[in-house]
Amino acid sequence: MSHKLTDGGQVMHVGTLARVEGEGAMHIEYRDGVVTDVQLRIYEPPRFYEAFLRGRSFTEPPDITARICGICPVAYQMSSCWAIEDACGIEVTEEIRLMRRLLYCGEWIESHALHIFLLHAPDFLGYDGAIEMAADHPEVVERGLRMKKAGNDLMDTVGGRSVHPVNVRVGGFYRMPTRLELRALRSRLERARDEAIETVRLVAGFDFPDLEQPYEYLSLRAENGYPIESGSVVTSSGGAFAVQDFTKHIQEFHVPHSNALHARLDGSPDPYVVGPLARYSLNSDRLSPAARDAAREAGLGPTCRNPFRSIVVRAVELVEAYTEALRIIDAWTDSASPSVPVPPRAGEGFGASEAPRGVLFHRYVLDDTGIIRDAQIVPPTSQNQPSVEADLRTMVEAWSDLDDHALLHRCEQAIRNYDPCISCATHFLDLTVDRT
Amino acid sequence: MLVVGLGSPDRGDDAVGGDVARAVAAQALPGVEVVEHEDPTDLIELFSGRSLVVVVDAVRSGTATGAVRVLETGVGGEPLPESAWAGTGRAGTHAFGVAAAVELARALRRLPPRVVLVGVEAAAFDHGAPLSPQVAAAVPDAVDAVLRATGGAGLPTAQGVGTDVSR
Repeated sequence: MSHKLTDGGQVMHVGTLARVEGEGAMHIEYRDGVVTDVQLRIYEPPRFYEAFLRGRSFTEPPDITARICGICPVAYQMSSCWAIEDACGIEVTEEIRLMRRLLYCGEWIESHALHIFLLHAPDFLGYDGAIEMAADHPEVVERGLRMKKAGNDLMDTVGGRSVHPVNVRVGGFYRMPTRLELRALRSRLERARDEAIETVRLVAGFDFPDLEQPYEYLSLRAENGYPIESGSVVTSSGGAFAVQDFTKHIQEFHVPHSNALHARLDGSPDPYVVGPLARYSLNSDRLSPAARDAAREAGLGPTCRNPFRSIVVRAVELVEAYTEALRIIDAWTDSASPSVPVPPRAGEGFGASEAPRGVLFHRYVLDDTGIIRDAQIVPPTSQNQPSVEADLRTMVEAWSDLDDHALLHRCEQAIRNYDPCISCATHFLDLTVDRT
Repeated sequence: MLVVGLGSPDRGDDAVGGDVARAVAAQALPGVEVVEHEDPTDLIELFSGRSLVVVVDAVRSGTATGAVRVLETGVGGEPLPESAWAGTGRAGTHAFGVAAAVELARALRRLPPRVVLVGVEAAAFDHGAPLSPQVAAAVPDAVDAVLRATGGAGLPTAQGVGTDVSR
């Protein structure tokens, strides 16, 4: 919806954003080409998870927090496991880390394939949604569904279930999948990897508006490989710190117009960005040869600062996820213990992993019997919310010559660039829920 | 034929799809396969090669909590209006709900000849909450609606024939 104000200003408002996870609204006011107000409004019901976790056993967060989101449950499981193991002073084996990475590849595949093909591609191909797009490009949608299915199958095999995996526990897994079970996935993953390379070519050919983000990028960086299940924190201005120092650098604060907390890096008033663009720009040197070749062929340099091109980066990350999954499966030997014992002790622990949408941070304080005394969860979408709003501000001013319909569409697209998971981002409910 | 209970078992009234599916499975109707899923996009795969699929899900359409609503479509049927089932599918991909999955399957020529959607009007989707009393009370009605769609009309038959429950 778009309407003129009596003083000559103009308001754009989208009551319920389409093709994003969760429920949100966008409100923009501008006058004479200058934006006076931008609000991404998030009004999912409250998630009092942090309060809910207090008083529960230290073994429970992987199962409880996985239910925060149907799209990225593995991210919640992995970040919570790392944090609790950190609090208890336990390190898991390399095999357990690799199996976590494999499970996480399944989540990236499901999430990125869904977003690229069913939610984001219609923006670039000029359709209202995937259904309209499927009528003209059924082969593209079928490919997306096949690629997503390969992720579901991986999640089923490693996680025991394709939506909320039940095989994850503090200390590792209840049961390791066998080499035979993993090898059965091979042909589907190989085909999907080849289709992902084709997908990079397809989306690289889309028409991208010119826009460069000046913001700080923040992601994990691992000792080896592209950051997925673990790593320490790096930023595009050269910052580097351990996950244990996350809360010393990242401050969360509440804004009146949204249920989601916003986040700030080192007290800076400027936004910072997490997610595929940040991960890629800070780790493109760590991609596998297959993904690096695909990125180069798509015209991506070592960094990417155009949020509209995030669809290309997601496709490159799909190549990486299939390639990495195949590598782990090929090397698997059936000799690993599924878990290590994690005896509780009093202490504070920190964990972070790269959810499909960016860094997901967990912190827990335990007492000596393993009861949770404090819990903190910083999801990627709340960290990105200030940059989404800043993008909208920039875009509305830069493209104020577009007609209302085109401008509104581009703003919605700007939000979808982030693949926001509003379900994960919500902490408070102090706005009226509008479900008409 | 296939009965799909859709929704998250952990999000209040969203669990009703699975509860109804399990109650249908308990009737052990011959030739009726019952599955539970959380992600509406799984429907497209589940539709393949079926002549009749019944989908049970929580719905929010603004009517009384616990009201059971049946919508029928299929290859030759009318497209579902955008508002149909707009408030469901919260469990998996909220951005891609049941109606969208059905219409995407239609566009891909994967829709079965007959698809019956059985919706139970939901009130709350809180994490870890049980079904609202009105929704729990509506489970038998929803089971009847599924059985009518299958032609079984609620007649119990021999146990364990042709019925499979999987997650």
